[in-house]
Amino acid sequence: MHINYWTELTRNNFGKIGLAMLCLVLFIALFAPFLARYDPGEPSHAIFMSPSFEHWLGTNDIGQDIWSRLLCGAKNSLLVALGVGVFTTLLSTVIGASAALVGGLYDRIVMRLIDALIVIPAFIVIILVAAYVLPNVWTLIFLISILTWQGGARLVRAQTLSLKERMSVYAARTFGANKRYIVIRHIIPNLSSILFAVFIHSATRGVFMEAGLAFLGIADISTVSWGLMMHHALRFYYLDVWKWWLIPTGLALSVTIMAFVFIGHALETAMDPRLRVMEQEDWQ
Amino acid sequence: MKNKHIAIVTLLSILLFSLLTCLAIAGADSGNTNEGGEITCIIADSTGDWGYPSPHGHYPRGPGYVRMSLVFDTLVWKDKQGFVPALATDWEYIEDENAYLFHLREGVTWHDGEKFTADDVAFTFNYVKEHPSWWVDLKSLKQAEILDEYTVKIYLEERYAPFLNSDAGGLAILPKHVWQDVEDPAEFKEPESLIGTGPFKLVDYSKTHGTYLYEANKDYYLGKTNIDNLKFVKISEEMASTALMRNEVFATAIPPETVAEVRENGFVIINQSGNWNAKLMINHEKEPMSSKEFRHALAYAINRTELVEIAQRGHAIQGSPGLLSPTSPYYNPEIINYEYDPERAKDILESMGYGHNGEILELELITAPRMGFERVAEIIARQLEAVGIKVNIRSLESKTLDYRVMNQQFDLAISGHGGIGGDPAILNKVILGNFGYSANYTKNDTLNQLLEAHLHEMDQEKRQAIVREIQGVYAEELPALTLYYPTWYWGHDGSVDIYYTMGGIASGIPIPLNKLAFMEYKGNAEVPAATEAPVPGFGLLISILALTGVAYLVIRRRND
Repeated sequence: MHINYWTELTRNNFGKIGLAMLCLVLFIALFAPFLARYDPGEPSHAIFMSPSFEHWLGTNDIGQDIWSRLLCGAKNSLLVALGVGVFTTLLSTVIGASAALVGGLYDRIVMRLIDALIVIPAFIVIILVAAYVLPNVWTLIFLISILTWQGGARLVRAQTLSLKERMSVYAARTFGANKRYIVIRHIIPNLSSILFAVFIHSATRGVFMEAGLAFLGIADISTVSWGLMMHHALRFYYLDVWKWWLIPTGLALSVTIMAFVFIGHALETAMDPRLRVMEQEDWQ
Repeated sequence: MKNKHIAIVTLLSILLFSLLTCLAIAGADSGNTNEGGEITCIIADSTGDWGYPSPHGHYPRGPGYVRMSLVFDTLVWKDKQGFVPALATDWEYIEDENAYLFHLREGVTWHDGEKFTADDVAFTFNYVKEHPSWWVDLKSLKQAEILDEYTVKIYLEERYAPFLNSDAGGLAILPKHVWQDVEDPAEFKEPESLIGTGPFKLVDYSKTHGTYLYEANKDYYLGKTNIDNLKFVKISEEMASTALMRNEVFATAIPPETVAEVRENGFVIINQSGNWNAKLMINHEKEPMSSKEFRHALAYAINRTELVEIAQRGHAIQGSPGLLSPTSPYYNPEIINYEYDPERAKDILESMGYGHNGEILELELITAPRMGFERVAEIIARQLEAVGIKVNIRSLESKTLDYRVMNQQFDLAISGHGGIGGDPAILNKVILGNFGYSANYTKNDTLNQLLEAHLHEMDQEKRQAIVREIQGVYAEELPALTLYYPTWYWGHDGSVDIYYTMGGIASGIPIPLNKLAFMEYKGNAEVPAATEAPVPGFGLLISILALTGVAYLVIRRRND
């Protein structure tokens, strides 16, 4: 199945919106140092200021500029999304594809391992581990990835098993192609759609979990994170500050998660032949 | 006909059940109540669980002691003016014999009806000397002698100035008939372990929910409390003011920003500062913090004024490196103050080979997510980074923080403790002791000798002079740096005139929950009305009515 992702994404309304939202967040994350008007970590005597020309979204409990923190928080979220996406996809591919290709006892062991690991609640394990290890952004990426790769590995294994049985692979084998050639030329290119889906799904989960953990206080408190901002904002919700502290942060987080979800949805539509048919029928 | 009858009976039963359920929920949700003539006083606490409220069972923090003090009495107690009689009606110090003579109150009974006598007092002193608690160790005790059924003489090994405040005023008297065979007091958690002589009896304690329910001891020797039940519930710091203004709780500590609003709503505000300190604990057993010069550099690098003005939003007094606050009668203003001087800090660090021009030092700063400590840690981390020390902050659960400090598994920590507004004996505990909030510093012989000397100095002026000297040496050694003394605000509805005890409860707990305040309850007139019928009850009523309707239709259809 050869899909031009860009065309598929831009053809679908959800895809267009998701892409626009992601580009916006990406732009903010990349240019935050230039867009931010203050050092996001610098405390000041201007505490709990309402939005004004100097501080567009006011200031927090230790006089930090909320707008600057909001911009810099995008970097953290996207870093986690990218880190978890890449690492989880890599783990899922290596484990899932190797299980399908090697087969036999190895496959059975790996699958049972996945069955066992899939029931472990990642959130709880991370909270426990955070009691011993400093939960900085890299630790979180690592922990989220190694606790959530199992679903992706199953998908990759199933797809690889199906690819293994394809006529093209049989034909290649008939013509004397070795295993390495088959994997590189026939299996991996055809896995790309699944891998992309795994990546998007993992990235979404990464953003969501990082924010959720930070919201519960499981984070390196010196980082600028949206979840952590919400964690601090909630401590003062009895004041008016939540209007310009909690709501914009929540919205920023929602936009990022929605961007990934919309892109994922658009790609799913593009990749699933049944959905494609329905879509074409709708167009006719 | 028969089906119709069943339908009517079913409908009536369901309606009756729903009505009763709604009433029950309405009753349960109205926090501060006067239910069936019983007055329950509800106090909010953001931590909740402070341990099993027996003398050896509660957590080694002030709120744990307060919960225990409601059940157990001491020989003497304090109110807002000073010492008042409790189980002892009067007492005197016999200098020649170095002993205290206590005349005990007659007619006092334990919660189980047994008579309280001098035998119990002598037993408690001997028992606690053998099984010291974190609060009272009775190292100074030589012997407890019973003179008659209601007179006891306590002989001391040597002169011990804090005896009346810390020992006689802090030692919970135990019933001999219950405790005489108990080997491990901390693990003794049978119902009889909570038999005391205090104004309240514990009815229920939930470790999980962090709640305590006490009922009044109707036979209390100081008269009856005018409340029937006292309840501690867990409510977050953020929710406290709202809960108070909605009359869901009787009294609570409230955030400073809400003080004006709470006062405008007709509630009484009391506040106090200087009796609790937040401090930077420094692991002086570990390189490079083991160097005094390095600790000085830390003190110069930290801007304590900024911590007060920003992290505490002005609701605090700047910390003194001598530990005691300017509000203490023992305070020494003439000690080294380590005014903020980052350049000096950098010079010291560079001379030691650290800082921007030397090895970049990386330290871990641990703290807990309470009382704004995380924000303090953030600001300190930035201040230290400005002089070339990289700081990794870790926020831990409060009890884990205490544990790690106690076991020296840290570099720097932000913690704090109260008790500094009371007897200066607290200095020995927080400098020499090994608790989650103490410096555990015994390296300086002069400091050790001074700390020992003030305990045995019975002349108040001379003792004050020694305590001032202690602050000077402590500030120079700097095993921990006091950052600030927060101002705490409590709001209450005025029906119980709670107050801050003179010098703190027992040996100095700065919490305005002295049990004697509940003896002065002003009566029913000011008990706030129960809150309006809550939404959950109403919602349930609607759902049950809907279910009833469905049941009726089903039965009717079957009938047809």
